[in-house]
Amino acid sequence: MKLLQRALGPATLVTLLGTFIMGMWVTPKATMLDGGGDLVRMLYVHPAVAWVALYVSFGTTTVASALYLWRRTRSVVMDRIAYCAMEVSALFIFLTLVTGSIWGRPAWGVWWAWDARLTSTAILGVFVLGYLALRRANGDPEARARRSAVFGILIALDIPIIHFAVVWWKTLHQSATVLNSTGNVLVHGSMLWTLLLSFVAFTLLFVWLLRFRYRLEVMRETSQQSRRDVAVAARQREGA
Amino acid sequence: MVDDKSIDDLSPVTPPAVANRSRRRSIGVIVVLIAIVGVLLSQGLLHSLNYFETVDQALAHKASLGSSTIRLEGVVAPGTIKRTNQGAQFYITGSKHHRVFVNAVGTPPELFQANIPVVVVGHFANAAAMTFQSNQIMVKHSASYIAAHPSRVRAPNGTTR
Amino acid sequence: MIRTALLVARKDLLIEARSRVLLWQVLPFGLLSLLLCGLALGPAQAGKSSAAPGLFYLVMLFVTLLMINRSQGVEHAAGTRESVAVLGLDPAGVFLGKTLALTVELWLTGAVIVGGAVLTLHTAFAGTVAALPSIAVALGAMAAAGTMYGALTAGIDGPATLLPVLTLPAFAPLLVAGERSFSSALHGGALWEWWVIMLVALVGYLAIGVLLYGVLEDS
Repeated sequence: MKLLQRALGPATLVTLLGTFIMGMWVTPKATMLDGGGDLVRMLYVHPAVAWVALYVSFGTTTVASALYLWRRTRSVVMDRIAYCAMEVSALFIFLTLVTGSIWGRPAWGVWWAWDARLTSTAILGVFVLGYLALRRANGDPEARARRSAVFGILIALDIPIIHFAVVWWKTLHQSATVLNSTGNVLVHGSMLWTLLLSFVAFTLLFVWLLRFRYRLEVMRETSQQSRRDVAVAARQREGA
Repeated sequence: MVDDKSIDDLSPVTPPAVANRSRRRSIGVIVVLIAIVGVLLSQGLLHSLNYFETVDQALAHKASLGSSTIRLEGVVAPGTIKRTNQGAQFYITGSKHHRVFVNAVGTPPELFQANIPVVVVGHFANAAAMTFQSNQIMVKHSASYIAAHPSRVRAPNGTTR
Repeated sequence: MIRTALLVARKDLLIEARSRVLLWQVLPFGLLSLLLCGLALGPAQAGKSSAAPGLFYLVMLFVTLLMINRSQGVEHAAGTRESVAVLGLDPAGVFLGKTLALTVELWLTGAVIVGGAVLTLHTAFAGTVAALPSIAVALGAMAAAGTMYGALTAGIDGPATLLPVLTLPAFAPLLVAGERSFSSALHGGALWEWWVIMLVALVGYLAIGVLLYGVLEDS
């Protein structure tokens, strides 16, 4: 386990570097009709970031929230995981929207469009900010954990809407390139391998960030508790 | 009133069936929620969330559109693009080979070309007009990415492009 | 569950009837907001009924946020929460009751605000009457969603500032559907489609509330 933890950082850096090198110099540029020339290189960033934001990171929060609400698995660890994963999710949702805009401007001709997928993703971003605001509100920690868990599950209802938006409605955003309903993968060769490598790289990045954020949260709680203990001891000494 | 006999009786009391009722209710609620989603989508009640209308759809109810602003989607017909001082003029086609002439004002996006799906924002001059006046062109990119050098990339079935 | 719901709804409506907060604070706020919207649009635009549906729902959104805070604040007055918990009421019934009370209050306020829209924003009377069923359903859905989110923020510091952050993304689709249905009633269009969507949203929020309100009450 320790070996895995130690290998996580280097593995993340290596896969990210591999994605960068492959994406910039090894993979060919696309035809103008199917990829937009060099614009295709955004394929190795935006889908992977979106994958982490919507499914990996948000999924972790949803599962941890559900496990917290279920009495058999309720623990402060689940609450911490849900909160830390949501913070990382906020970062990745922001990156999804930014990289999408950067890609959309030259590809579509607009920075933003109010189609179903983009709008529902933006709504999810606002919901995540609401979750973080809820966590920062003062109150009993257990009550706060329960509220956050309920809210985390409620807003997860947006995820299937985002995923299926390109199928249910006519949208400007294109449908899935790999996991589409026809089963045909619409990208091949080194482009496909680089795309898959980018998914692995950004997933490892998420795990790495979550691990560090979790450790920070534990240290913050411990420091808060020890500050409280020191203050109580000082008051008791004064009284003695 | 509590008496000595009732205090000695420590046999377990059957709890009320609250948990079962609560679980049945939860399952019922989840079934209702899934049914709602199914009804909404199967009845096409959310079609107003479509970002655009296709050429075929727009032509089918052109009379009711009048001169209202819509987003129209079609494929740019090859050989019809004519760059003008204000923008471009071209034909877009639908799936049933209906065509609409588009007079677009404003610089087209970088990827604008023949055979590419586009979404144009604008309006027909009136219910009878066949020219679509557009003030914005958006390219609707497909989900496929094909390498510019086919000898490097080959599809699993051996075909290249 | 239904008996509890009716009991809780009656309690909330009696409190409102005796305190008259709706009459002396919320209604004047709503009417003033409507007037301010008209002023902000300017005399050229204010009289055009095309803006009215959106403005009506915007004002009702602010009113709903106030009423949600009020509805939850009543539960958290000194000792109330503990006393109610001891009664062992079915949480789903409490949720339905509070939603019912809030719906009635929003309908009453909405009726006055929509009258104000007819007078100041010149919406067509016949079209406004045709829009009333959709308005009723939209406000019901907002009440159900609001009761859920109000319970999320109740009992913590600064619920008045946190509530809009949590509820506005959830209210956004209801606002869009409400505005489109009101516009369809005024200018023609697929009215039935929009209010069926809102009816489905209402049932959905009621179902979610019945499922999850008990968990929030425990906290």
